[in-house]
Amino acid sequence: MNRRGFLIGAVGGLAACSAGKPRLNVYNWENYVASTTIPNFEREFDCRVRYSTYGSAEEMLAKVMGGNSGWDVVFPSNSFVQPMRDLALLERLDHNNLANLLNLDSRFRSPEWDPHLEWCVPYMHSSTGILYSKSVSRPPLAWADLWTDSYGRRVTMLDDPAEVFAACLKRLGCSINSGNPRELAAARDLAIRQKPLLRAYLNEEVRDQVIAGDVLVAQMWAQVSQVAMDNSHELAFSFPLEGFALYCDNAAILRESKHKRLAYDFLNYLLEPRVAADIAVEMRTATANGAARALLPERDRENPVLYPTPDILKRGEWFKALPGPVQRLRDRYWTEIKSA
Amino acid sequence: MKRLRAIFLAPSALVMALLFFAPLLIVLAYSLLTRGPYGGVMLPWSGESYTRAFDPLYGEILWRSIWIAALSTFLCAVLAFPLALFIARSQKHKTLLLNLVMLPFWTSFLIRTYAWMFLLRDTGLINSALEGLHLIRAPLPLLFNSGAVVLGLVYGYLPFMVLPLYATLEKLDGALLDAAADLGASPFVSVWRIVLPLSRPGLIAGCVLVFVPCLGAYLTPDLMGGGKTVMLGNLVQNQFTSARDWPFGSAVSLLLMLLVVVVTALLSRKSEELL
Amino acid sequence: MKRFLVAYATAVYLFLYLPLAVLGAFSVNASKIAVWRGFTWNWYTQVFHNEALLQGMMNSLIIAISATVICTVLGTLAGYALWKRRSALLVGSLFLSLLTPEIVAGVSLLAFFEWLFRFVHVQLGMYTVILAHVSFCLVYVVMVILARLRTFDGSLEEAALDLGATEWEAFRRITVPLLWPAILAAALLCFTVSFDDYVITSLVAGVNSETLPMIIYAMARRGVSPEVNALSVLITVGLGVLILVAGRLENAS
Repeated sequence: MNRRGFLIGAVGGLAACSAGKPRLNVYNWENYVASTTIPNFEREFDCRVRYSTYGSAEEMLAKVMGGNSGWDVVFPSNSFVQPMRDLALLERLDHNNLANLLNLDSRFRSPEWDPHLEWCVPYMHSSTGILYSKSVSRPPLAWADLWTDSYGRRVTMLDDPAEVFAACLKRLGCSINSGNPRELAAARDLAIRQKPLLRAYLNEEVRDQVIAGDVLVAQMWAQVSQVAMDNSHELAFSFPLEGFALYCDNAAILRESKHKRLAYDFLNYLLEPRVAADIAVEMRTATANGAARALLPERDRENPVLYPTPDILKRGEWFKALPGPVQRLRDRYWTEIKSA
Repeated sequence: MKRLRAIFLAPSALVMALLFFAPLLIVLAYSLLTRGPYGGVMLPWSGESYTRAFDPLYGEILWRSIWIAALSTFLCAVLAFPLALFIARSQKHKTLLLNLVMLPFWTSFLIRTYAWMFLLRDTGLINSALEGLHLIRAPLPLLFNSGAVVLGLVYGYLPFMVLPLYATLEKLDGALLDAAADLGASPFVSVWRIVLPLSRPGLIAGCVLVFVPCLGAYLTPDLMGGGKTVMLGNLVQNQFTSARDWPFGSAVSLLLMLLVVVVTALLSRKSEELL
Repeated sequence: MKRFLVAYATAVYLFLYLPLAVLGAFSVNASKIAVWRGFTWNWYTQVFHNEALLQGMMNSLIIAISATVICTVLGTLAGYALWKRRSALLVGSLFLSLLTPEIVAGVSLLAFFEWLFRFVHVQLGMYTVILAHVSFCLVYVVMVILARLRTFDGSLEEAALDLGATEWEAFRRITVPLLWPAILAAALLCFTVSFDDYVITSLVAGVNSETLPMIIYAMARRGVSPEVNALSVLITVGLGVLILVAGRLENAS
């Protein structure tokens, strides 16, 4: 048998082997499933899963907007659920297929962005606060502390306009979703005043620098901060006194999906307490699944950084989708801040 | 000759027509539409993105980008030229040396940038070494400024300068340099007055291949510059991501293209060889 | 001067490989973060168990090699034709393709493909990625070839024509062999550009063709995963060995 014939036969054989099983295409944020999550699902439901990750919600939206992306399950943040619904990208959820929905924590049974859970299922949540080194003389417990010159310019903010505006607006006592031009202009001026005191605008990449001591104070997401604190006992996290931003990533099925049955199975599977708990423990995320949280070891279950107490949560505010003109004004101001 | 030439050109022309001009028309259409509320575009048609672009804020960004790109290109050329000359003149190992130049660039640029950030930061390797040798008392600010951005750009685009230079220097006739030496010229003089002019096409190609992409660079200013400097690449990148203003991003890109085309056309009239 | 060049070249090579040395050090670091915690080979074994990573690398190689072959052939022919007589349109469009910011090119190519798919029933996949890569890599090949041709002695070809060769023969048997180092250089550049492309690839890749940069960017932005460092070292060492072997063979012949 010649080489070509062998190759064709081999490829054909391989294709035949895997052709039988349906394949689910899941598009998620990075670091949101444990090492056993996908293999166990594949085994339990006798299928294959193509699991891919993205770094920003806009990137996911750009690919999915055409309505022909090939993905079945995506994980929009709460402020993207309504836009995706308006763009007719999401499948309306039939709760009869989601028996495990009851496992959700009471806080997430009827969230602001989807009161009847018609479009998404809350998955993991977090907030934005201040990660800092315990060695500083003045612990930054409020956003205002980031404007004092007490940290030798070793302060960073997130490279995200929504987050920087959230911090400035909270400092001014306004809502993080404010569309008021005067409030936004004042926030911009604050940010420009802060810029000389900053080392840089960085996202997760600053984590290693905080651990090493290059950066003393960083505006950072709670989940990343938790990982940093796991690696260094010199670090602490604070929820700013003036208020802070909350966000939640949700599982959703795309309307274009050709494997809706399997997608429902996947969402239901993620809602199982054991599965969600495994992810939360391995990835150090905060799960929206109440039954899963009960399974966590006490040190994680009561972790104040991942699961803030109700009196702290009172100061938190969910991100909302913003109307076009507001978005444009914010972007214009963001460019001014960055160019200053 | 004409037929052969037409056959040679046809495939490339087809590729450019389908995969460049058609998408370019789409970009033009985008620039004249209105931004969708969540990204994307929608009707009505509007020239607003263009009028918005003529704002001193964006002019400042343009100027800064040109300045940083030009500096990076210059340093890249200075750095690359002796290396390309060395490789071109080496007797036995040309391909090996050339491949060794490219080898680092087959690993992800992102993680090499992270490696540079590790090297340059205050507690990083370079500062720690200098402090350990008691050459400095406080860490030098090597990261999160324009200098770091230039370093990152020079590093990232070095092969784009080395390869075209090598391609032209490779054919350099050693006899020319020997003759110059015989006539009493020092090595550096013969390089300056013989090699450099002969390598001009390669130098120009290299400068174009470095300068132009530098204008659109966004990763290096974001990471090495700490997000504190906005270059054109960042501005455009931003419009398609967090700002979700595709029409404006498209308009800025097209205006940039127009600007560079006009400048190049003016320069080309003076020097035929630019392209 | 020879010694100056050697010393200088060594310094530049050190500059080029410095970040790789850092990556190498971290690939054997027992900690997931950038603080030294002890020696380990764990990350290397994990790379071989990470199917997605290996599949991604395979995809990247296929795409880069395909795009390089196509671009080198097309670009060499086009460069030669442009050298004989300029075409402002083609040169201009190549130049503009270089100038287009990656995200603009990516978004517009995505829109173009999606429009195309209304008539031709294909989905985004390896083919679209290869086509996209060809579109932005072509200019690199053409520029390198053109630069080389500018210092080319056309009289050799003319002599061949005088002796009765056709234009095609003159091209194939005189010009191409002389142009060979430049063609290799151009192919090398093209491969490099294609192998590490992220923005355009991620937009037109679709579900099936995840490339190495996409995986690395996803892993790295959430905190550099040491497996990525280990993989980079493996790629570097692997390709380095290949290069050394090829260099030996070249010298032997």
